[in-house]
Amino acid sequence: MERKESGEKLKFADNLFINDSTDVQKGEPSLNRLLLSGIAVQRNDKEYIQYLANLVESSDDAIISKSLEGIIKSWNKGSEKMFGYTAEQAIGRHISMIIPKGYSHDEKDIINKINNDETIAHFETVRVKKNGEQLYVSLSISPIKDQAGNIIGTSKIARDITSLKKSENELIIANNELAFQNGEKEKRAAELFVANKELVFQNGEKENRAAELIVANNELAFQNGEKEKRAAELILANIELVFQSEEKEKRAAELIVANNELAFKNEEKEKRAAELIVANKELVFENREKEKRATELIIACNELAFQNRENEKQKAELIKINGELKISGEQVKEINQELESFSYSVSHDLRAPIRAIHGYSRMLKENFETQLDPEANRLMNKIMNNAKKMGQLIDDLLNFSRIGRKELVKVSVNMDSMVANLCYEFKNEKGDQNIEFHIGELMAAEADNTTIRHVWLNLISNAIKYSGLKEKSVIKIGSEINGQEIVYYIKDNGAGFDMRYADKLFGVFQRLHSDEEFEGTGVGLALVQRIITKHGGRIWAEAVVDEGATFYFTLKTIPS
Amino acid sequence: MKEEVQILLIEDNSSDAEMTINALKQNGLANRLLHLKDGAAGIDYIFGEGKYAGRQVEDTPKVILLDLKMPKVNGLEVLKKIRADERTKRIPVVILTSSKEDPDILKCYDLGANSYVVKPVEFDEFRKIVSELGLYWMIVNQQAL
Repeated sequence: MERKESGEKLKFADNLFINDSTDVQKGEPSLNRLLLSGIAVQRNDKEYIQYLANLVESSDDAIISKSLEGIIKSWNKGSEKMFGYTAEQAIGRHISMIIPKGYSHDEKDIINKINNDETIAHFETVRVKKNGEQLYVSLSISPIKDQAGNIIGTSKIARDITSLKKSENELIIANNELAFQNGEKEKRAAELFVANKELVFQNGEKENRAAELIVANNELAFQNGEKEKRAAELILANIELVFQSEEKEKRAAELIVANNELAFKNEEKEKRAAELIVANKELVFENREKEKRATELIIACNELAFQNRENEKQKAELIKINGELKISGEQVKEINQELESFSYSVSHDLRAPIRAIHGYSRMLKENFETQLDPEANRLMNKIMNNAKKMGQLIDDLLNFSRIGRKELVKVSVNMDSMVANLCYEFKNEKGDQNIEFHIGELMAAEADNTTIRHVWLNLISNAIKYSGLKEKSVIKIGSEINGQEIVYYIKDNGAGFDMRYADKLFGVFQRLHSDEEFEGTGVGLALVQRIITKHGGRIWAEAVVDEGATFYFTLKTIPS
Repeated sequence: MKEEVQILLIEDNSSDAEMTINALKQNGLANRLLHLKDGAAGIDYIFGEGKYAGRQVEDTPKVILLDLKMPKVNGLEVLKKIRADERTKRIPVVILTSSKEDPDILKCYDLGANSYVVKPVEFDEFRKIVSELGLYWMIVNQQAL
């Protein structure tokens, strides 16, 4: 800054008056005193003025002087820093340059107060910087008077309080916020109080519940014990199940194999099914045929049903008759037993007196033979013969009755050797008779050995007896097969018989010859017929008188 | 020395007994024969009881001819008693009967009869059988000692 250009300034500075009450921050007590004392010193002292100017220049506060019209007259370094204008840019311009819109009345108020010779201290307001930025400032304004005491301008000291203001504003906002939060907290406290009561109530409830839970707990503890036992059992069961599982796995493996096998079989079955379909068609055809046949059969069935009913009627009758037969079967058994004891009596008690008759007659004849005449001897012989015949008759009758009752024991009978033996015995016995046997093949039969031997014995004996009057007895024996039966025959060349009486041949005590011709009791053939009939066979005879007789009988063949 | 009985005939039928004795006589076998008419008498003799008290049981006959059908004590009972006694069980016993229909034939053998003979009606035959019997048991058969 050039001193020359500030001629007015200097002049102004000449008039400069520093108010005692101005708060100069950096001002030192010595300086204040100096300033105060300066008023008392000469105003023209240039050195002093320069000192003052430097003082102003070095202040951080903005120190501005202006005319009453508002034209800026001085602009220190502090102003430059604060508002961004240089002294050259600011001096000569109107102060409104740093007054923002809406604050222009500030300046008027200030001027009014200054005009009234008032000092304005710490007036807080807003100013604007060159770059448009607004800032809070604290203003201290004093009038500038000339030597005559007329107010010619004002001095203004501005201090930036933006940061202070800002903090202040922030505090207010924060305060409001706190106040708001306080309100909120009180509400919350009230709510918490309500909630507290609720909790107290709930606590009570919970204590009740806790007591219940203790009871329940005990119960659960007991159940737990039980469950542990059960668990122990389950562990055992588990082990068993594990074992079974393994078994089942094995089985499953086997089943898989079996499954495969079944799958294979299934295929086979499908093939078979295909074949069956073909066969089915064939069957359908056959079925139709069968239905036709069935219709015919139904007709036949009805006929059979009718016949069946008839059969049932007959069956019912047969059952009735059978019942009757059963009763008589029991009666037969009884009669048989009676017959047996009767037979014994007859054989024992009848034989004894006959034996006595015969015995005594014989003794009489022997001991008194010389004393008896021929006629007496003849009569004695008659008595003995009749007694002997009586004994024979009794024996034959008993045989007949015994064989009739006898149970047959059927075996394979060798007829060849049986007949051969009998013929040999007879030939020896009847040595004086000329007998010729012709024995053909005799087939074996299923028969009772003892009784069949009796049949042959009787028939051969008869053949010999009835051919006894011939010069030579010729006896032929043989057999033939006739279906399921064997026909045996024995043929002699003896007396034969009249075929008209053939039906009497097999009757008991029936004889076709007199006792004088041929001895006999008439029991032999009756017994033979009885034996053959019991075997399920037949017996018959053919004869020609004086030429001979042929006896036939049949027996069943041996089942192969 | 007292004569021992060699043949004891126990038979109720007097005719049969006479014929039997007659037959044995012809062969000289009837000299030491005793005929008793029923089973009770037979037992008395054999065991030295009753009428025969004091008789020595050990003096046994060589053979007993025993009829089956008798009053009081029958032949089977007599046989049973003889076989049950140690002193008499070895005496040969021949059963003489009239009938081959007798239901007791098997019982006789079961009880230890030595023979079973049916008496024939014809006397010649009867005599023949009895003679053979006598000869066999008296002479041929070797007795147990």
